[in-house]
Amino acid sequence: MSYYDIDAILTDAEKIPCTFQIDVPDLGYLDNQPGHTLKSGSRVALPIWLAEMLAIANTGTIDMDDPSQSSKSFITFDLPPALGNDVVQALKADPRSVPLRDQSAHFYALATHMMELSEEPELSAVLRKTFVSRAAEIALHARKVGGAGGKGKGKATKDDNASNLGVGGAGEDFLRGLDEWERKLFRCAHDGTKASKEWMENVKKR
Amino acid sequence: MPMYGDLGNKLVQHAKRTQNLSHLPPYQTELVRAVAREIRDLDKDVASLLEPFQGSFDPSAEQATACTLLVNHLSMRRNKRCLLAYHRIRTDKLEELVWNGADILDLAGQTTGGPKGVTEGNEGGGTTSSLSPQEEDYFRQFGDLLALYKGQWTDIDLTGSLEPPRDLFIDVRVLKDAGEIQTEYGAINLTKNSQFYVRQGDVERLIVQGYLQKLG
Repeated sequence: MSYYDIDAILTDAEKIPCTFQIDVPDLGYLDNQPGHTLKSGSRVALPIWLAEMLAIANTGTIDMDDPSQSSKSFITFDLPPALGNDVVQALKADPRSVPLRDQSAHFYALATHMMELSEEPELSAVLRKTFVSRAAEIALHARKVGGAGGKGKGKATKDDNASNLGVGGAGEDFLRGLDEWERKLFRCAHDGTKASKEWMENVKKR
Repeated sequence: MPMYGDLGNKLVQHAKRTQNLSHLPPYQTELVRAVAREIRDLDKDVASLLEPFQGSFDPSAEQATACTLLVNHLSMRRNKRCLLAYHRIRTDKLEELVWNGADILDLAGQTTGGPKGVTEGNEGGGTTSSLSPQEEDYFRQFGDLLALYKGQWTDIDLTGSLEPPRDLFIDVRVLKDAGEIQTEYGAINLTKNSQFYVRQGDVERLIVQGYLQKLG
């Protein structure tokens, strides 16, 4: 993940639910109330680029009598709804039937980022399984789209039609639900199939 | 409710779109200015917040102020990242265009299409350049740099086609007047709509620049 990576920057703009731990007079605008004090306990959705540092930075209090108070953060945060229990349960049931894009366009990037910030062993296991089973499906679709694209010259029509059976509408819905990372995977698989097909045709010509 | 960093985000979304285009969309002058203005405003806020402390600010004593300062600082840092990423995407694209032999005049009036003949109907406003003045400078100077670099090897054309030619000679049609060129077999005057049988190596640059069209 580079500083200049566009997708990383867009991922950092995803909002996560945060709770302020102190009163801040000047930040009312974050809670749609400019000019008012942002009260301790207010729940506000903040972009990751802001929430991350606010949660890590401690307020600098060193209280000798009560050490538990000494490293209080400005805010605490929770997992965004995109990674909430509903979604995790749905992914456990059938990873392929969840349109990840509706949760977040950068679903996996968001999840990895969140896992860097807090320990979520179960989420990590679920996501790994999700990616693996979806990746297989993506690879399948990528190959079929290449064949059905109809850019081929003549012959291959019969075979392609046959292999496209059952992919129809459901396939389109699945592809629409891919997150940004999966889309890249799809593009790679698709371009790879196409390129090797072209190469094979050229070899035959010579 | 608009928030600090929203404009920067818009800029990055522009950059995202630019990544998938073959041409360079118009420079977002207004947006860039607005983001820079936001940074200056935030900086002013920080200065006025710190002013009463006269350089002896203690974050643990003034937690609320420390929090505001952090938010302001992070917003500035975010905006900076958005600005840099936006410009970097564009300069990368410009360098690619220079390597491909694009002409700055083609970029300036991108109505008939990009350097590779990509037709773009939605750009409109043919007289305005899609490059900012600084970008035009960058483009020119990078071109000079590339020429200097290429000059070290007179035998090899580093920007030449990577495809091995099938024939030494090819038929070309002239799309734009390109004036007279010198070849091993004498001078040819390239006037619009004429057709020639020439050595590929002699006219490769002109094809890339869109003056000539390869036939057959």
